[in-house]
Amino acid sequence: MKPATFDYFRPDSVTEAVEALSTNPDSKVLAGGQSLVPMMNMRLAGPSALVDIGRIEELHGIAANGSLRVGAATRQADVMDHATVVRGWPMIGAALKEVGHPAIRARGTFGGNIAHGDPGSELPAVMLALDATFVIEGPSGTRSMVADGFFLGHYTTALDEDELLVRVDIPDQATSHWGFVEIDRRHGDYALAGAAVRLDVDAAGHVSDARVALFGVASRPLRSAAAEQVLAGTRPRDAGVADEAGRVALEGVDVAADSFVSAAYRREATATVVERALLDIEPTEGA
Amino acid sequence: MEIRQGNIAVEITVNGDLRTGIAEPRMLLSDFLRHELGLTGTHVGCEQGVCGACTVLIDGVPARACLTFAVQVEGRRIDTVEGMAEPGQLSDIQQAYHEEHGLQCGFCTPGFLTSTEALLRENPDPTEEQIREYLSGNVCRCTGYQGIVAAVQRAARVRKAVSHDA
Amino acid sequence: MGRSVQRVEDPQLLTGQGRFLDDITLPGMLHAVFVRSPVAHAHISSIDTSEALAVDGVIAVYTAKDLDWLAPMVSTGPMREDVLTQSRTVLATDVVRHIGEPIAVVIARSPYLAEDGRDLVDIEWEQRTPVLDPLAALEPDSPLVDEALGTNNVCHAEQSAGDPEAAFAEAEHVTSIKFCSGRSTAAPIEGRGVIAEYEDRAGGRYTMYSSTQMPHLLRMLMAPVLGVPEGRLTIKAPDVGGAFGLKCTVFPEDIVIPAAARLCGRPVKWVEDRWEDLAAGVHSKGMVCTMEIAAKADGTMTAFRGHFISDAGAYSSIPFSPLVDSQVAGAYLSSCYGVQNVAYTIDNPLTNKCQIGAVRGVGWVPGQLAREVAIEQLARELGKDSVELRLQNIISPEVYRTPLGQTYDGGSYAAALEQARDSVGYAEFRERQAKAREEGRYLGVGFSPFVEPTGWGTTSASVGGMTTPFYDMASVTIEPDGSVTVTTGLHSHGQGHETTLAQVTADHLGVSMDSVRVTFGDTDSSAFGMGTYSSRSAVLGFGSIKESAGQVRNRLVRLAAQMMEADEGDIELVEGVASVKGVPGRSVPIQQIAGFGYFGAEARPEDVQRDGLTATAGYDPGETYANGCAAAIVEVDVRTGLVTIEQLVAVEDCGVVLNPVIVKGQVAGALANGIGVALLEDLVYEDTGEFISGSLMHYLYPSTTEVPDLTMHQIETPSAVSAGGVKGVGEAGTISAPAAIVNAIGDALSPFGIVIEKTPVTPDYLRQRLRDADHGPVSEARIEKG
Repeated sequence: MKPATFDYFRPDSVTEAVEALSTNPDSKVLAGGQSLVPMMNMRLAGPSALVDIGRIEELHGIAANGSLRVGAATRQADVMDHATVVRGWPMIGAALKEVGHPAIRARGTFGGNIAHGDPGSELPAVMLALDATFVIEGPSGTRSMVADGFFLGHYTTALDEDELLVRVDIPDQATSHWGFVEIDRRHGDYALAGAAVRLDVDAAGHVSDARVALFGVASRPLRSAAAEQVLAGTRPRDAGVADEAGRVALEGVDVAADSFVSAAYRREATATVVERALLDIEPTEGA
Repeated sequence: MEIRQGNIAVEITVNGDLRTGIAEPRMLLSDFLRHELGLTGTHVGCEQGVCGACTVLIDGVPARACLTFAVQVEGRRIDTVEGMAEPGQLSDIQQAYHEEHGLQCGFCTPGFLTSTEALLRENPDPTEEQIREYLSGNVCRCTGYQGIVAAVQRAARVRKAVSHDA
Repeated sequence: MGRSVQRVEDPQLLTGQGRFLDDITLPGMLHAVFVRSPVAHAHISSIDTSEALAVDGVIAVYTAKDLDWLAPMVSTGPMREDVLTQSRTVLATDVVRHIGEPIAVVIARSPYLAEDGRDLVDIEWEQRTPVLDPLAALEPDSPLVDEALGTNNVCHAEQSAGDPEAAFAEAEHVTSIKFCSGRSTAAPIEGRGVIAEYEDRAGGRYTMYSSTQMPHLLRMLMAPVLGVPEGRLTIKAPDVGGAFGLKCTVFPEDIVIPAAARLCGRPVKWVEDRWEDLAAGVHSKGMVCTMEIAAKADGTMTAFRGHFISDAGAYSSIPFSPLVDSQVAGAYLSSCYGVQNVAYTIDNPLTNKCQIGAVRGVGWVPGQLAREVAIEQLARELGKDSVELRLQNIISPEVYRTPLGQTYDGGSYAAALEQARDSVGYAEFRERQAKAREEGRYLGVGFSPFVEPTGWGTTSASVGGMTTPFYDMASVTIEPDGSVTVTTGLHSHGQGHETTLAQVTADHLGVSMDSVRVTFGDTDSSAFGMGTYSSRSAVLGFGSIKESAGQVRNRLVRLAAQMMEADEGDIELVEGVASVKGVPGRSVPIQQIAGFGYFGAEARPEDVQRDGLTATAGYDPGETYANGCAAAIVEVDVRTGLVTIEQLVAVEDCGVVLNPVIVKGQVAGALANGIGVALLEDLVYEDTGEFISGSLMHYLYPSTTEVPDLTMHQIETPSAVSAGGVKGVGEAGTISAPAAIVNAIGDALSPFGIVIEKTPVTPDYLRQRLRDADHGPVSEARIEKG
């Protein structure tokens, strides 16, 4: 269980990193390495070159000015414990608590978790729920992309091979409500099913905007249009609303079976996590 | 930009000493510590990042040595079980594991000790639930965790008493 | 004895100074990596090693052809005529029979380079139909796993006592269940490993470091395959990082590495990786069980009948064979119940999977699960309280002969169950349970009283149907300075023998524990013994040291009497000082006695002149059985199928306790293993034969968040048989906890009429059963309404 040989690049800037990625075919970004290195140890991945972005200053840091800006190489533990994040974006902290264990979060990066595109991982779904924007640097410059449409399939995202995720921007959540629930076999495992829900509610307590993101259920994290439709205009704690949203959540979704659970299990579990995430949301004035 | 290819000298600070060894970029930090530097106290249990036996502190925070390449930590500070106490002594945490029967075969123990050190630095007075949550990334097949949890509680008590005295 | 002495092993293990196998480096050492079968069953058409050999740093690649000078490995199993003997080469020749089977070994300058070479070995296959279902494997038209055997069934055996057929025919009630016990394994955090070197001197000799539980037995079983006399094979077991039965198997790798060292003329190291551990070590407890109980309407159980089919894997493991699971599941069927009509059948079909071998709890675990789940079901069918029903049928504390021929040496069978019942607050629990159900929460309680054969020796093995003679020695030496050295053929890998056996020795000799050093693990210097497994070492260690230390003490007392011109009967030897009873001030320290014993010339007693201050003695105990009871309270989330263990209680009676803290540690660790068996650990083969549990992402260990704070109680019923009244303790928690947890889950789900029929009890399985019971995906609101 030892990795195959590779060349190692440690750029000092994003520009150098992109250059290293584009001049080395078959290269990969090494961020925290908590997902990539096990794959390499098992020789399920064998990149010819690794581009270690761990020491690029501009990729680190957390800033909030209305929206939250997280540098892609910021360690998950630093985001989880950050006072601003805890106060203003509590769903991120709640989700990160479920990402592996302290030693994993101490090395694993915020952006790495997103760019890895693991369908069972928590952060990608949270990004969908919170309507995050990804700032991406490539050979032809900088582009931005919202989370919707970024996650394409198993470990596949809209990032090109020579592109680097540099920053994640997450809109202000001050007036939003959130719920986050996942089912896992053991604490810290990938989810058998999980839901990240964000609701905006009008003065009368009716849902004005719903974002229901699911993870651990299909080949990619995804939003449930059906569940969001059910929620629109309702008061989520009214009888039957959460139940109905859960029940329809997977309409039209191709649900994955794996070595742990059947597709039938996942369908039921998804209904459960959506319903529970909605019921977890603190009742608000008028609701 | 630093570029490393083939066998190269890698310099890191381990337990306060500047150490140099030869490593290909692909050499895992666990192998580098054990087989290049002869620090065999850090153990390897899975090389999949799950069991936690290889946990060391990198710049003071816990990390899986089996998921880290030695070249990644060039110039960084690594702390391993060998550096927890002076020769012939036990640190407060090691002493607590001894007194609470927090080890049997001893193979997972170095990873538990380094994780406990990190926990108590972050949270000097953890509840049982916080201890269990923090150590959930370290696996022990011998103890059923009973003595380990008790050892962490004891170490926290001892540390608190010492800092009160100081 | 009986004191919680802190372990002398700890300081070096706590400071990173332990010496485990991979910590050892020999001069010029090379590294081995195995090329293993990725398929379940195939004919090897060709192996091309040329590309691998071209890798800079790869020294050699050996296949079966290069090792044709070795004798085959021959499975022995229990010495019974009804167990087939299977023969295999250490590397596959023309057929591979399971995923992970070694085919070639790559020797290189580093493990990294060896893996580079491994990836370039090119093998061509003709796939064969894998035999995967143990029941289908028993059908006459099944493809054969090993054609040389002419059958897949390594052993079919039946035993009965009393008249079970009549009892079932006359029964007022019969309960029958099927139980499918999953495959799990030991997966110690330190995997297997071997370092070997070969020296061409004294006719050629091998030295091998092995992470083993049984250095002497390993040597005995390896030497014939290597073709050397045992005296030319030295096995050294360094610190061993957990074993749990796995490391008392003889594996092909154990032979290949010394053979490779001989061929390449350099020391060779192999350290198993986690995939190899999970795919190619031993698996355990994979068994299809049928259990029937005949009972009277009043709850009196009149007969047990069981059928235990081990899903044996591709090879009959050495030395225990798959009977280590099936045979012992059957042989102890009556457990702590006074049932007089008992019958069991075992079958051991080979399948194209990893071999079944010994792992903590062995076949006692599925046997216990099948019986205790069936008893729970019987109670439910009769409308009786299952604790009351058990107590109604339980045997009394005296020495008891089971119908199948074991003789228990006394135990606290009813008392342990009662204490477990009280410890979980059973009287109040039903009310709490009813209230929780009204809130849509499903709590359950389960019990699992057990009897554990311990101190495994010639008699106990024989009455369990695992017929093998045993031979275990300890040697005690008073050194010239009065310090004490003990050697034993037992081995310690977490059990703390350096501490407890020093305690035992100190107490028997009357010296301080600090002056005693216990050594083991080296066939060149340790007394002969069969190793540590089967919860045997407390009993064997105590008995063999009692005898050898007793002989030495006797000599010390006579020397002291002579030195102080006192009567032998008046000599007291305490904490290393001999004194004369009732005469204050007349004493000699052991240093002086030892000096006299070594250098007192003709003044010494004749036997001391002849034998010195060393005595070696063996011990082969009669049958000794620990007992106890596990109890669990669980909560089942019926919507997700997740189980949370709220409380896990163990009442343990292992006779006279040598070191209470170490006993507690053994019980706690075994309970955690039991949680893994019950809920998490599962080695899964797909219907295509593909193995999907080859990483710790898929093979789930219980961690700190799955193991609750454990409640442990001790009862002390001294053995009527063993030296010192000592019984073993190593496996009790693993034997008992799974059935307690499974019964608690069954109790929680009793409103749905679900009988749990398999382990591990996974969320997917529970949801499937709940669906079958028409408990579809209901909403939180509907659960709240009840």
